[in-house]
Amino acid sequence: MGKKLLSEKFYKSMEKLESRYPSKVALLLPALHAAQEEWSWLPPEILDEVGAYIGVHPAQVREVASFYTMYNLKPVGKYHLKICTNVACCLRGSEELVEHCEKKFGIERGETTPDKRFTVVEEECLGACGTAPAMMLNDDYHESLTVSKLDQLLDHLE
Amino acid sequence: MPKCIIDGREVEFTPGQNLIEVAKSAGIDIPLFCYHPGLSVVAQCRMCAVEIEKMPKLQTACSTMATEGMVVKTKSEKTKENQESVMEFLLANHPLDCPVCDKSGECDLQDNSYKHGSSYSRYTEERRTYLDLDMGPVIKKNMNRCIHCTRCIRFGNEIAGLREMVALKRGNNTEITTIDGRPLETDYAGNYSDICPTGSLTLKDFRFKKRAWYLTKVPTICEGCSKGCNMEIQQDNDQIYRCVPRENLEINRHWLCDEGRFNFHYVEREDRLVDPARAKSSGIEICDWGTSIDAAKATLEGQRVAILLGSDLTQEEASSVLQFKAQHYADSPIFHFGTPGIVSSKDDGPEDRILKQKSKTSNLNGMEKLGIPGFERLPAEITAALVIRGGRAVLPPEIDGIEKVGIGVFMKDQAMMFSAILPGLSFAEKDGTILNYEGRAQKLKRAVQAPGQSKSLSEILMIWTNRKNSHGVA
Repeated sequence: MGKKLLSEKFYKSMEKLESRYPSKVALLLPALHAAQEEWSWLPPEILDEVGAYIGVHPAQVREVASFYTMYNLKPVGKYHLKICTNVACCLRGSEELVEHCEKKFGIERGETTPDKRFTVVEEECLGACGTAPAMMLNDDYHESLTVSKLDQLLDHLE
Repeated sequence: MPKCIIDGREVEFTPGQNLIEVAKSAGIDIPLFCYHPGLSVVAQCRMCAVEIEKMPKLQTACSTMATEGMVVKTKSEKTKENQESVMEFLLANHPLDCPVCDKSGECDLQDNSYKHGSSYSRYTEERRTYLDLDMGPVIKKNMNRCIHCTRCIRFGNEIAGLREMVALKRGNNTEITTIDGRPLETDYAGNYSDICPTGSLTLKDFRFKKRAWYLTKVPTICEGCSKGCNMEIQQDNDQIYRCVPRENLEINRHWLCDEGRFNFHYVEREDRLVDPARAKSSGIEICDWGTSIDAAKATLEGQRVAILLGSDLTQEEASSVLQFKAQHYADSPIFHFGTPGIVSSKDDGPEDRILKQKSKTSNLNGMEKLGIPGFERLPAEITAALVIRGGRAVLPPEIDGIEKVGIGVFMKDQAMMFSAILPGLSFAEKDGTILNYEGRAQKLKRAVQAPGQSKSLSEILMIWTNRKNSHGVA
């Protein structure tokens, strides 16, 4: 492999984390999270590099990374809206929220606006059924949403 | 031996055998998809679940070992109900495009649907669909037909030693594919198509050429190397359509390499010489058997002749040449040739960790058993050569400069170098014995008729012997 794409900081933090896990393979999920934090998404070269570091085959890295929806295998916008569409949220109107976003940004779910500012995806259960419908905007939770609350939130973003 | 009871019959088993194998030994077929005797057990498809007394739920027969006194019911109401449900789920997304599917007629999904499925589908939702993926020169993938049995992934990991197939995403959206959609790398890729229980992975070389039920299957041995893998030639109307592996747990288990699988193509090449021929000032001319044999004799007349035998010939053929030599060329040296750089079985050995051997001809060992030495260089006094081979042995470049006669399978461009060609048979057109790298004798079986005017070697040698020598005819 050529030049390393992940930073010194990534490798340092992984070394620190390693002792917490029973095996190095178990480090795969946190390593992917950390790599995604640096790159905002996980291009194939990064998957390969993480695989090489952990010592698992690139195929296995892809199987794991594609299994979980929280890993982005496509580039995402500056603001990544993950709207829960599981049962509780669905009953409380999450479908309207997704449709509203689609109309507002002129994109389909799963897509990114051409100016690379917004990505809208359907997310599996966020564990916030008590305050449905819920959404994650990047790393933050926003709960008990309505269309107007969502608009207010989006309009105040840079 | 311990015994268990399957469908009311007492069946003996070896400890450690799973229920599928035990039932099979008693002639009871348990339907299955993901289980393959050559691969690890994952119990994913649930099709082989059977009822076992004293167990509250159905158990997958592939992952359940038989134990003394175990009572298994493979045809009970509960078992059948499960089989029908599994079939319904597996067919929910399946396109049911059997009329245009290449696997039709030899498809596990089709057969099990026929035997255990329902005639109706309750599914009215949209089916998940994918575009076809070109997975390199050997395999084409149709993901719509896939049932996620993961046999291909396991074959890659466990047999080919390459993690090239992956299962991406999850649940209903699981997609079996190669890493980033790259072409397959293994040179055992044909097996992916053999083990796929649906029409998802099809062989590009075979697809849309022939419906499976028209094929006549002839058990024979691969001549691609000295391993002696057991395979089947599948032909219709004297045309070979494909070769597939035949199970032999002591040699090739369930597999066949691509080189051996596609080797048969030379048999049907357009430029194969299937009529007797002799040299002319500008290339070669097709003639009758008498004329070409006269030309052959005239070429070797008065010369110091070496006999070169391809190690792709059978034991019977080589023996008949030895008799022929004793009668006509008693003083001539005789050598076998086959693979550049391989003179004797000492030079042979495994080429990879799976099946392939370094000797690219099938009967190197047999030649040695007959006491024929390997070809290294021509003795100095030699002025002409009689070259006899099947279609696989590589002609040694040392014979370029001398007069020669060829008996066997030659392509037109090779034939140019010869004074006379007497067309013989390839491995698919003859019966005979070959000895593999460990000395195991196996039978080649004729699968197709000899093409054109080509004849068996014993017949050619007989004509040669019986035809009166007519000096000076060229």
